[in-house]
Amino acid sequence: MAVASVTHAGAGEPPADRLYAETRELRLQGFLLFLISDCVLFSSFIFAYLYLRNSGQGWPPPGIKHLDVAFAAWNSVLLFGSGATMHYALENWKHGNFIKYMWMLIFTIILGAGFLGGQGYEYTHLIFGEHVSWWGSGIFGASFFTLTGMHGFHVFVGVCYLTVLLMQSAAGVYTGEKYFGITAGTLYWHFVDVIWVVLFSIFYLI
Amino acid sequence: MSTQAAQLTHGGGIADHIHPEPQGFVRRYVFSIDHKIIGIQYIITAWVFFILAGLLAETIRTQLLNANGGFVSPETYNEVYSIHGSAMVWLVVIPMLTGGFGNLIFPLQIGARDVAFPWLNMLSFWIFPVAGLMLFSSFLMGAPTAGWTEYPPVSLQGAPGTSMWAAAIFLVGVSSTLTGINFVVTLLKMRAPGMTFTRMPLFVWGQFATAPLLMIATTALAAALAALFMERVFGVPFYDPTKGGSPVLWQHMFWFYSHPAVYIMILPAFGIISEVLPTFSRKPIFGYKLIAFSSAAIALAGFMVWAHHMFTSGLAPYLQLPFMILTFAIGVPTGIKIFSWTATLWGGKIHLTTAMLFAIGFIALFTCGGITGIFLAAVPYDLDVHGTYFVVAHFHYVLVGGSLMGIFAGMYYWFPKMSGRLLNETLGKIHFWTFFVGFNGTFLPMHWLGVEGMPRWVATYDPQFEFWNRFASVSSYVMGIAILVFFVNVVWSVRNGKKAGPNPWGGRTLEWMIPSPPHYYNFKQIPTVYGLPYDFSHPLPYKGLEDELTDTPPVAAGAH
Amino acid sequence: MHVDPAILERTGAIAGGLIVGIVAIYALYKDWATPGVENHVFKLMLLLLGIGAVLAILAGAGVLGNFPTA
Repeated sequence: MAVASVTHAGAGEPPADRLYAETRELRLQGFLLFLISDCVLFSSFIFAYLYLRNSGQGWPPPGIKHLDVAFAAWNSVLLFGSGATMHYALENWKHGNFIKYMWMLIFTIILGAGFLGGQGYEYTHLIFGEHVSWWGSGIFGASFFTLTGMHGFHVFVGVCYLTVLLMQSAAGVYTGEKYFGITAGTLYWHFVDVIWVVLFSIFYLI
Repeated sequence: MSTQAAQLTHGGGIADHIHPEPQGFVRRYVFSIDHKIIGIQYIITAWVFFILAGLLAETIRTQLLNANGGFVSPETYNEVYSIHGSAMVWLVVIPMLTGGFGNLIFPLQIGARDVAFPWLNMLSFWIFPVAGLMLFSSFLMGAPTAGWTEYPPVSLQGAPGTSMWAAAIFLVGVSSTLTGINFVVTLLKMRAPGMTFTRMPLFVWGQFATAPLLMIATTALAAALAALFMERVFGVPFYDPTKGGSPVLWQHMFWFYSHPAVYIMILPAFGIISEVLPTFSRKPIFGYKLIAFSSAAIALAGFMVWAHHMFTSGLAPYLQLPFMILTFAIGVPTGIKIFSWTATLWGGKIHLTTAMLFAIGFIALFTCGGITGIFLAAVPYDLDVHGTYFVVAHFHYVLVGGSLMGIFAGMYYWFPKMSGRLLNETLGKIHFWTFFVGFNGTFLPMHWLGVEGMPRWVATYDPQFEFWNRFASVSSYVMGIAILVFFVNVVWSVRNGKKAGPNPWGGRTLEWMIPSPPHYYNFKQIPTVYGLPYDFSHPLPYKGLEDELTDTPPVAAGAH
Repeated sequence: MHVDPAILERTGAIAGGLIVGIVAIYALYKDWATPGVENHVFKLMLLLLGIGAVLAILAGAGVLGNFPTA
């Protein structure tokens, strides 16, 4: 159908809205394609990790302890929870509940930052406690820190973006009709979440 | 799926929105967001890098005049061919065909005012010369020496220039990826009303097949380069076998991009040929849907054949076999195109303009290159000639006899549209014939040099190969003269060429319906499209173009 | 009282996973019929989020996971 489900936007609206609606379609498609190419970036490194891991030594390689699955499961739940709160933030916005939107956004940021804190804790434990480093622990350190680091960086950028979103929303930048920044933020945040589902599975579960 | 969703509509949307004309030299010609200016910027920059990479090529050929070399040191020679290849692929052919001709022409052909993200387009362009300078600057710090493919472990060692190489290619890859995203959205959402996919010109189909490759394949290369950089600079092991890494991993990651990359380098050129041939045969293109869908098939299948570059890397035979078969299979859609183009010429009223000469030459030479590609696809044959001059012959036939000839055809065809003046036909014909003779003299002998055993990437060679190497080198100087004639033609014609008018060739695609050069807003009114452009016996399938060649101002000029 | 942190983490993972999983599946169910590309993408993401929550529960319960063989 002509325009994606932007609330209240329909076919017979005055010209200014049509320009906005068409421009919004372009931005949405462009952003989705950007997410696809980001997916390819992660997929390439995931391929590299699985290829190297498959070269026969058993995992983790000798001399390296297993990763802490329980901790990572808890940390993951923080991130997944932030995905749920972000979904409801967007829902609330679409239904006009500004206060609830703001609270959901704040919870998302807190949970996302909590996830980052958890990653930081795990990194500290690995690097200083177990002496597993990015460059000095063979392909284990290389693949683990590169992939989770890339992901953590994406989460960090996301937390920054959501914070900016919070401030912009408070300042009234977005209106009932024009809120693509919020939609894009939600899409990005879900993307980061989904990447983590894959990383959690391939580093901690298999 | 409603066609309305994908094309523009009249009624106050993007189609009717004309932004005010940019003012001042910097906004018009330096930091321009106009796709036509950006396209010209890409083309000029790519030609500059072509000259530099071409000088490197002549250095190679001069070194190889004698079996014991003597022109440059072996270490320098390694740097020269590595940068020659890297520059030609990433700084010349890909930017010229996608950022250059893509930006310049396809928005006009779909009846759009610009691409979907003009500012991003400008950013994509400006990354390109910076990345190119970075690549050439690697000579100052010890350029990479392991060829444009930079296999580890050699690429993990040696001077810092390899890290600079990785960073430069990564950066130009970002430019490519952004362009790919831009083009996909433009093609999906900004076609003129009535222009369904099966009414798009074939050059647009070529760009449509290429843009997803730019987006997806280039990102895979970015990962490979980033890993190489991290390993060289921080010691993070991915490819070093002594630390648990794998050199074959690099090959997989590199070729997963670089095979689609060769399709990036040829699909737009196929599109150019598909435009030039019908115009100068005064006949509809034969097999429009065949050519259109085979482009898409090639783009898709291009992702599935990368390991045919790795037959000698220790792959198990059960893996080699599917790659061999799929590579054979890709010859089919390509062959379909060759037959369709030939059938287009058949029975046509042929006008042998320079653009047409290059297009016909393309068909001949690309076919040769394609055939040697099928030779190489066969594992037993490849095991014998991998890493020899046979491979060099193959890819120069498809990239120079193919892509570069396509680029020349595009230049002669569209130069009048962009500058308002025709390139000189006499100089053009001298360019074509000199180039054709020089090219074949250079690269034809390389087929048998390779079969006889001359390896690639060597600064000196066995004296038995000397005669044909000399022959090739002298021929390469002839090619150089041809290219010089071309540049003289361009520089002279910009000021002194015959005035072209809007449609000097009698073309039927939308870019020929507007003045030469076009106004910044492209079309006063976005036309409605009713059919294919190639039906020469029918009236033009457009409505709404009545005012384009008059002096009336655009309807919504300056309006927001 | 000394509590093994792993028990807390596992309990948190199971509890949080249940909450998130139920919320995700419920949201998916409620929004099932919405049209348009972006809503399809959101639905796919919610589904994958639900799968993630299930994985977190199974990891917390010790059913899935690359644990030391002890």
